[in-house]
Amino acid sequence: MTRYIIERIIAMFITLFIIVTIAFCVVRMMPGSVYDNPELPQSVIDALEAKAHLNEPLLVQYGYFLKGVILEGDWGTSVKIEPSVPAFDVLVKRIPVTLEINIYSLLISLPLGIIFGTIAALRKNKLADHLISVMVVICISVPSFVFASLLQYVLAFKLELFPIVYESTAVGVQRFASMALPIMALAFGPIATVTRYLRGELVETVNSEFMTLAKTKGLNQVQATVRHAFRNSCLPLTNVIIPMFTNVLGGSLVIERIFSIPGVGGIMINSINANDHPLTIAVLIFYSLVSLLTILIVDLSYGIIDPRIRLEAK
Amino acid sequence: MAEKNDIILEVKDLHVSFKSYAGYVRAVRGVNFTLHKGETIAIVGESGSGKSVSVKTIMGILSKNAVIDSGEVLYDGMDLTKVDEKVFHTLRGKRIGLIFQDPLSALNPIMKIGKQITEVLILEQKMNKEDAKKKAIELMRAVGIPQPEVRFDQYPFQFSGGMRQRIVIAIALASDPEILICDEPTTALDVTVQSRILELINKIKEERNLSVIFITHDLGVVANMADRVYVMYAGKVVEFGESEEIFFEPAHPYTWALLSSMPDLETKDEKLMAIPGTPPNMVYPPKGDAFAARNQYAMQIDFEEEPPFFKISDTHYAATWLLHPDAPETPMPEQLSQRIKRMKEEG
Ligand SMILES: Nc1ncnc2c1ncn2[C@@H]1O[C@H](COP(=O)(O)OP(=O)(O)OP(=O)(O)O)[C@@H](O)[C@H]1O
Ligand SMILES: [Mg+2]
Repeated sequence: MTRYIIERIIAMFITLFIIVTIAFCVVRMMPGSVYDNPELPQSVIDALEAKAHLNEPLLVQYGYFLKGVILEGDWGTSVKIEPSVPAFDVLVKRIPVTLEINIYSLLISLPLGIIFGTIAALRKNKLADHLISVMVVICISVPSFVFASLLQYVLAFKLELFPIVYESTAVGVQRFASMALPIMALAFGPIATVTRYLRGELVETVNSEFMTLAKTKGLNQVQATVRHAFRNSCLPLTNVIIPMFTNVLGGSLVIERIFSIPGVGGIMINSINANDHPLTIAVLIFYSLVSLLTILIVDLSYGIIDPRIRLEAK
Repeated sequence: MAEKNDIILEVKDLHVSFKSYAGYVRAVRGVNFTLHKGETIAIVGESGSGKSVSVKTIMGILSKNAVIDSGEVLYDGMDLTKVDEKVFHTLRGKRIGLIFQDPLSALNPIMKIGKQITEVLILEQKMNKEDAKKKAIELMRAVGIPQPEVRFDQYPFQFSGGMRQRIVIAIALASDPEILICDEPTTALDVTVQSRILELINKIKEERNLSVIFITHDLGVVANMADRVYVMYAGKVVEFGESEEIFFEPAHPYTWALLSSMPDLETKDEKLMAIPGTPPNMVYPPKGDAFAARNQYAMQIDFEEEPPFFKISDTHYAATWLLHPDAPETPMPEQLSQRIKRMKEEG
């Protein structure tokens, strides 16, 4: 197991390195530069670019960048969005709210999805199953920003149940109320994904041979389902959590705009528009790191739940 | 043995169908058999003849699309086709145990072996954990698992196929059933493992005085296991009798065909007689004798009217028009009678 964990972590860093490299090259090769300002004399621009090593070949620039990140924890400095503030600090300020909203929406969608999926599977081809199916199709096919706008219009604007936008200064219940709508908007998709996936898995395991054995050895239907079908069906669920989480992150890029949330999503778009390359790269690294960590956590929990991996990868 | 009062399980005129997209599949179309206390009966027949469906009906584990059209399964004064799930639950495992066709997929892949044996003891028999574990280890030892204490905490993927089948047997024995149904318990295993599992079942049967229903399509296995044999074809029993009667005096052409298609040590040079054709489509079961289309001895009446059972001895019956007094004398195929002669000489 230890070896399995170490292997996973090493693999994660290699992947991260590759992603960072690609991100760096792509961003730096984008046309335009922050310093392209007609009001500045060319000599000043040249001096500024030289200071940021922009006049050197790409590979050398990358060397400087890596050196900064690895040796000094320096991710570069924002040049436009928050001039002269280290990109890392810009991020750190905004990460908590983004993560909070994403994680909450995942946390509510897992149990709900599991409940709906179980109901649908056990009531297969009955009314409840059909209703849930319709719900799933709607939730999967409608993008989260549509839900966000609808929720904002109906629940916040018309019914005034929730604040229309995020209130970063509010505390306690108030703050939570202002986060409720974005969380909900982001949760519909994942709920539907989990529901659909679990229903499929459960329907299959319920008909498996070991379920029949569980029954013939004398367990009743509930015991057999809970002890044998359910746990086995949740195992492959870990597979959908990865794409789900990255989807939610992607969705929150837009959601953060709709609800004016000062999260990471906003600066991603702004920094690209503003040619604030160090910041763009930092944001990209953040997103890749979060995705890779999700994959790592899922892989590890897979190893814990599934004895075949846990024991064979000693 | 054949006294009326020691009958432990009786299946009477059972009809079971499945609703499917292809139509109404008539899987079992009138099966009768009796199981006496301490006896082993074998049910043999080609794939799809309805063997598993018959025993699944006995266990009450038919799939949702199954319909029991008619018939009775009599056990302990109850008709198991009519009892509700609550009552059935008190019988399954505890009174009637089942060993499965496929040991490789019958165990839950992510639950420890020990737990799969003990869970029913703990949940249903209210044993405490230590006692259940002790009993499980005893059972594992009884079915021939070496180092049961170590194996107790392992997972199915760490077991070989033969060992998994032993575990499935141990699970079936955990609640001390009086009837053990073995649905092709060795088909998925290689020959040496197969014979060891069969020995094991025989031994356990003696020790615990079990009544056994043994399902197989391997007649060679039957010879070692069964007191009596039921031959099934297309959802019906076509011949039944004591083992010797079925092996030495088979009367139904289908039994002839089955016996001829069975390999044995002597038949190295002889050509094995594969049964020509395929079993009928059970959505449209044929009129008359279902085997007629594949039967080289079929007569006109075989295609028109279903044969009743003709008595050959007190214990031996066969449903074929060949036994009708007006039928022309039809001996069994030469090759088969040669073979039977040889088997008799060897004893
Ligand atoms: N769930 C089901 N739905 C539809 N048809 C079924 C179902 N289960 C069994 N059948 C049909 O019932 C018939 C008898 O099947 P059964 O499983 O009893 O055969 P079997 O004699 O046990 O064969 P084998 O030796 O291959 O195990 C087959 O024609 C099969 O297709
Ligand atoms: Mg079968």
